[in-house]
Amino acid sequence: MSSLVGFLSLVFAIGINFYLFLSRYIFKFQKQKFNLFIRFSSLLTLLSFFSLMYAYVVSDFSNYNVFQNSHSNKPLIYKISGTWGNHEGSMLLWLCILSIFSFFFSFTKNIEDNFQKLTLIIQAFLHILFGLFIVFTSNPFLVNSILVNEGLGLNPILQDPGLAVHPPILYAGYVGYSIVFSIAIAGLFQNTDDEWLYVAKKWSLISWTFLTGGIALGSYWAYYELGWGGWWFWDPVENISLMPWIAGLALVHSLMMVRGEQAIKKWIVFLSILCFSLSVFGTFLVRSGILTSVHSFAADASRGIFILLIFFIVTGFGFLVFLLKEPKKSNALNLLFINKVSALVINNILMIIATLTILLGTIYPIIIEVLYNKRISVGGPYFNSTVIPIMIPGFLLMSIAPILSWQTNKINNSKKYVLAFIILSVLVILQSYFLDFNTWGFVGLLLGFWIILASIIAIFSSYKIKVNIKFFKIINPHVAHIGVGIAIIGITCSSVFQNELDFNLNEGDKFNVNGKTVLFEKIETTNEINFQSLRGKFLFDIEKNQSKEIEAGKNYYPVSKMVTSEAGILHQWNKDIYFILGDQKNNEWFVKVLINPFVSFIWLGVIIMMYSGLIAVSRR
Amino acid sequence: MNRIFILTPLIVLSIICIFSLVYLLSGKDPNKPPSALLNKDVPIFESSSLYNAKDIIKTKDIKNKKTLINFFASWCSPCKIEHPLFFEIRKKYPELYLLGFNHKDPTSDAKKYLKDDGNPYDFVGVDSDGLIALEFGVFGLPETYLINEDGKIIYKFMGPITMDILKNEIEPLL
Repeated sequence: MSSLVGFLSLVFAIGINFYLFLSRYIFKFQKQKFNLFIRFSSLLTLLSFFSLMYAYVVSDFSNYNVFQNSHSNKPLIYKISGTWGNHEGSMLLWLCILSIFSFFFSFTKNIEDNFQKLTLIIQAFLHILFGLFIVFTSNPFLVNSILVNEGLGLNPILQDPGLAVHPPILYAGYVGYSIVFSIAIAGLFQNTDDEWLYVAKKWSLISWTFLTGGIALGSYWAYYELGWGGWWFWDPVENISLMPWIAGLALVHSLMMVRGEQAIKKWIVFLSILCFSLSVFGTFLVRSGILTSVHSFAADASRGIFILLIFFIVTGFGFLVFLLKEPKKSNALNLLFINKVSALVINNILMIIATLTILLGTIYPIIIEVLYNKRISVGGPYFNSTVIPIMIPGFLLMSIAPILSWQTNKINNSKKYVLAFIILSVLVILQSYFLDFNTWGFVGLLLGFWIILASIIAIFSSYKIKVNIKFFKIINPHVAHIGVGIAIIGITCSSVFQNELDFNLNEGDKFNVNGKTVLFEKIETTNEINFQSLRGKFLFDIEKNQSKEIEAGKNYYPVSKMVTSEAGILHQWNKDIYFILGDQKNNEWFVKVLINPFVSFIWLGVIIMMYSGLIAVSRR
Repeated sequence: MNRIFILTPLIVLSIICIFSLVYLLSGKDPNKPPSALLNKDVPIFESSSLYNAKDIIKTKDIKNKKTLINFFASWCSPCKIEHPLFFEIRKKYPELYLLGFNHKDPTSDAKKYLKDDGNPYDFVGVDSDGLIALEFGVFGLPETYLINEDGKIIYKFMGPITMDILKNEIEPLL
C-alpha cells in the first residue's frame, strides 16, 4: 500500500513539473498559481519519500527494496537510515532534497517575478530528469515477487549513527548547487540587473555549508569506523565531494567581489554551472559503479548510461547557454599589486587549478583503462604532491586578504604583520629544530599559525571590539579563516606527526603508550540484537586513580556475514589515542596503537568554517 | 581567444562523456580488474592430489594439452552453483584436461563435497595455504582459467561460470 502511494505521488510530482516546464511556452499562468504548483509538487515528492521511509520503519518486505536492504531486528534509527542506504532510496532522497530547495526558493522575496519563475522552471526540468531516472532505472517501489517474512539486511558498515545523517547532509550540499545553477542560467537568459547575484550568494553559502558538514561527517566516520587511523584517503569518492567543495569555495569568494562593484559575472556564472556539474558528475561516477568504494551499490550499466546522459544534458545545456548568452562585458577589474580584487582573483585561479588537478587524478584511471585495458589507481602520493603545493600560496594570502583594500595597494598596520610573521617563523623553526623536523610539518604549522595570528591581529587592529551580532558579522571572514588555520594545524599534526606502536599481547599484559602504562584487561564477547561483538578492554594510565577505559574490537553481523572493525579512541584535546584490535595468533592478540596529535583541531576548524558559512548567509 | 576559453568546458565535457560511455559500454566491472596474467605463461606450481599425497602435479605436466583450471572450495557456495557445468564440459570436450584446485579447505570437507556433488576433475590439486591461488592472482572464489597448448593463459573468469559464459566466451576458445 505505502509503495503504491509512494510511486503514484512520485509520478504525479513529475507530471506537475512537466506541466510547469511547458508553462513557459504553452500555458502561461500567474506567479501565485505557479508557486502553488511548485510547492504542491515538492510536497508530493516528500510524500513519496516518506512512504518509502514508512515501508522501512514497519519492515514491509512486500517492497522489494525494503526486502533487499532491511531486516526486522535492526534498531529503528537504521531502519530509517536504511531508506537512503541503497541506490534507489538515495536517488529518491536526492530528488526529495531538490524539491525542498525549490520549495524554499519559491518563497524568496526581493527578486523579480519572471526571474524567480524561470529559475523554478529550470528546477522543474532537473526534477523531471532525475524523476524519470528513478522511475525507469531505480524504482524503489517495486513489489517483491515472492512472499517473505524477513529481509536481507543493511550493509553493516552503514549501521552507524554518523553515517545515518551523512547522506542527507551531503546531498543537501550537492543538490543545493542545483538552485545556484538554475539561478545562473536564469540570469543568463534574462540578463537584467545584478540583483540575482545576491540571491545566488546566499544559496551557494547554504550549499557550501551543508557540503562541508557532509564531507566532515563522512571523514569522521572513516576515521573511527574503517579502523585505519586516518580520516582522508584520497579515495575517488572523497575526491568527488572535494571538487564541488573547492569550486563552491571559489564561487563564494568571487561572489564577494560583487560588493566591490566589480562583478565578474562571467566567471561567477561559469563557477555556478561548474559546481552543479561536478555534483552531478560525482553522482554519475558513484552510481554507475565505475568507481569501487563503500558507496557503490549494485552496478548496472543502464543506470550508468542514463545518469551519464543526465550529466551530459545538464552540463552541456549549462555551458551552451553560457556560450550563446555570454554576459555583457562588465567593468574592468581594478587589479593592483596587492588589493582585495587581485587576492580574490589569485585565490580563484588556485582553487580552480586544484579542482582540475583532482578531476584529472580521478578520471585518469578511466581513460587509461579504456585506452590500454590496464588497471591503475591514482592515490595519495599524486594528490598530496600536486594539490597541497597548489593550495599553499592561497593559504599564505588568505591570512591578510580580508583586510586588504578594494581600491589601493596599502595595507594598514603592515609593520605589525611583518613583525608577527618573523616572530612566528622563529618559533616554528625552534620547534622544528628541537623536536621533530619534517618539511611538510614545518610548512603546515607555519601556515596554520600564521593564518590564525594574522586574522586575530586584523580583528583587533581594524575594528572596534563590541559584543553584538553586527560585530560578529563584520569579523566573520576572519573567523572563517581562523577555522581554516586551526584545521590546517590539525591536518598537519595528525598526518605528519602520527606515531604507530604495535604489540602482541595476552590478556592481563601491561604495556607502555606515550609514557603511560596501559593494561590489556580482558577480551569480552557479547550478543547484541543484530550482531555479535568482540571487545578488547584496555585501561589507560592505570597508575592514576581515574584511569580511562578504552574498548576496541570487531562486530560480526550474521545476517550479511560481515565483520566490521570498531576502533577504540581516547579523545584528548591535544591528541587521540587510537586502539585497533587485530587477530589472535598463538594466544596473543595483535594490538595496534596510533597516537594522532591534534585531530580534534580538524573537527573544530570545520565547525568554525560551518558557523561562518551560516553567519555569512545572513549577511548582505 | 575569448571564444576558445568559453568553448573549453564543452570540449572537456565531451571528452569525459565519451570516455565514460566507452567504459560503460565495454562491460568492464571495476570489481573485476583485468588480469595481469592474461596471455602470459601459466605460473609455476606444484601440488599434490587430494586423494593421494604422493601423486604430484607440476606446471610441465599440463604442457601440450588444453587445460581448464578451476579454483574451488567446499565452503564457497557460488562454486556449488557452477559445479554441474563442469560435468557438461567434461562430456562435450573429453580431450580437455580439467584441473581443480581445492582452495584453503580441510581435506575431509573437500572429499565429502566431491563425493556428494560428484567429481568432474581429471585431477584435484590441494592448495591448502592458498599459495597457488596467490601465484594465479585469484581474487575470490570461484575462478576459472583456460590454458592453451603452449602453456599460456588465454582466458580468465571470476565468479561462477554460467551457461551463457560457457557458450559465448569459453567454447569459442576450445
